[in-house]
Amino acid sequence: METLDLSKRYGKTDALRGLNFTVNEGEIMVILGPNGSGKTTLLMILCTILKPTSGTAKVVGIDVVEEGTKVREVMGIAFQEARGFWRHKPSSILRFHASMFDIDPAKRQDLIERTMKDLELWESRDKMFMHLSGGQAKRLETAKVLIQQPKLAIFDEPTSQVDLRGKRKIWDKIRELRDQGSTIIVATNEVREAEYLADRVTILHQGQRIVCDTIPKLKDAIAGGDIVEVDFEDPVSRKLVDDLNGLGGDVSLSSEGNQLRAKVSRAEDWVPKMTSASYIAGAKIASIRITEPSLDDVFLHFTGKALVDQP
Amino acid sequence: MNRVLTLAAYNVRILLSERTWFVLAWALFGLQIAVYGSLMSKLVSTTVPNYLFFYGVGLMVITVFDSGADVGRHFVEHAHEGELPYFLSLPVSRGGFLAAQAIYGVANTMIKVLPPLIGVLWFVGDLTVQGAVFALISMFLLGLGITGIMVSMSFIAFKSVDIYSAFLAGLSALIVRFSTVFYPLIFMPSFYSPISVFSPLTYGADLTRWVLGFDSNFLINPIFAAAVVTGVAVGTLSLSARIVDKVIEGVKAA
Repeated sequence: METLDLSKRYGKTDALRGLNFTVNEGEIMVILGPNGSGKTTLLMILCTILKPTSGTAKVVGIDVVEEGTKVREVMGIAFQEARGFWRHKPSSILRFHASMFDIDPAKRQDLIERTMKDLELWESRDKMFMHLSGGQAKRLETAKVLIQQPKLAIFDEPTSQVDLRGKRKIWDKIRELRDQGSTIIVATNEVREAEYLADRVTILHQGQRIVCDTIPKLKDAIAGGDIVEVDFEDPVSRKLVDDLNGLGGDVSLSSEGNQLRAKVSRAEDWVPKMTSASYIAGAKIASIRITEPSLDDVFLHFTGKALVDQP
Repeated sequence: MNRVLTLAAYNVRILLSERTWFVLAWALFGLQIAVYGSLMSKLVSTTVPNYLFFYGVGLMVITVFDSGADVGRHFVEHAHEGELPYFLSLPVSRGGFLAAQAIYGVANTMIKVLPPLIGVLWFVGDLTVQGAVFALISMFLLGLGITGIMVSMSFIAFKSVDIYSAFLAGLSALIVRFSTVFYPLIFMPSFYSPISVFSPLTYGADLTRWVLGFDSNFLINPIFAAAVVTGVAVGTLSLSARIVDKVIEGVKAA
């Protein structure tokens, strides 16, 4: 799957601006970006629902504008908002979907039953769609793609409105689909989802691709590498910060109240030096946490903005 | 083709689950004919022989028009309830998608019109298989034309449903009132009749009456009427196919 200089304009708004983007066969590509970054627009173009203003997009080598029907034969999409057939039952919605994608009638019922059980929808199979919870409707949306087993599977925020247990199930089924040979694109603004699923991550911001790589490489790209958060018993003094800055190495410090946050290249080297310096300065340490930078930090690093608006 | 039929069958199944509406539509038709039609018939039958028959066909043609409008509304509802993007993501061409909508429209029309047609023909003592079949073909062509007009107009609804609804109401009023569904063209005043020739219902109604054997002195030339009805069906369906293919997008999201 590749796009070349892909743009989409709504009136005076540029939703996508010259996007170049490639997904390799058999990988899970996560598109990470805040609301309004152009994720859904990109996915809608890939599945031929929207037409690009300029540029090209190809799925399995097939142009999405020139040969839309052929593209739709090899791809499946789970929409961000579950698309309603309000007076239909989940089982009949899946049967219709399976028939549209020529799923072998002999295997259809078993496949639907198994998928619904896997996604804990079986008990709700005879409820009207309009009576499903938001999470159930989202799982049904995922089930459509799972029974289809397309060459290219697209999931647009697959676990929004889904509880924690449900999220894990959906993520595992998406990975299973990848292991069965599908190429997968997941659009999300949830860092945990991206970390759990991604073979590679593309950061999308204001309709443009900012960076694309594996998660370890994206994290390595941030100055430092480890994050050390230290809670002191008393407020952190200016002198202590100066002393710690004097320890040398690649370090970036920030403090607020009793807490000190340091981005360091190797926590195992820096932490012993920091504890000694704190002891000498008379600053008592209450706790130390060592973490990797999150994808939030990666996003902040590359775009200068937080992935999710802070309250 | 198989997928188009699957899609159409799915829509038709939805249609058949709404049996109450059909019964109500038939009941309303019967009531309209029995009360208003028969009263009107007594008033005007001195100048138009068998006005009840004329009126009955006109009422059926209005039903065809309403069914065609239903397909347009159905299409717009797909968009606004979020189903359109899903349908557009299925492996059928946009033309195939439109064909499935048209099949749905035809089924809707036939279910609504067939019992009234048989009822009217039986009531006036002119029920023949041949007449019923040709009348259905005539109304089928008209229905396709109306469907084409309504789907072509549906792109307005992608800007505003309110404007679409207002436009549809206005268009319906003009197309139905300025037509020969209730009054023969030759009796229309000179300021009224020139407008009537622009309504497709004029041709659909007169053609249907002609195939059912109504006095041709009160009707538009049947060959001309057949040509117009066919032309409207082909033209508007081609236009709607182009609009669905080139203009309509399932969703606008950032």
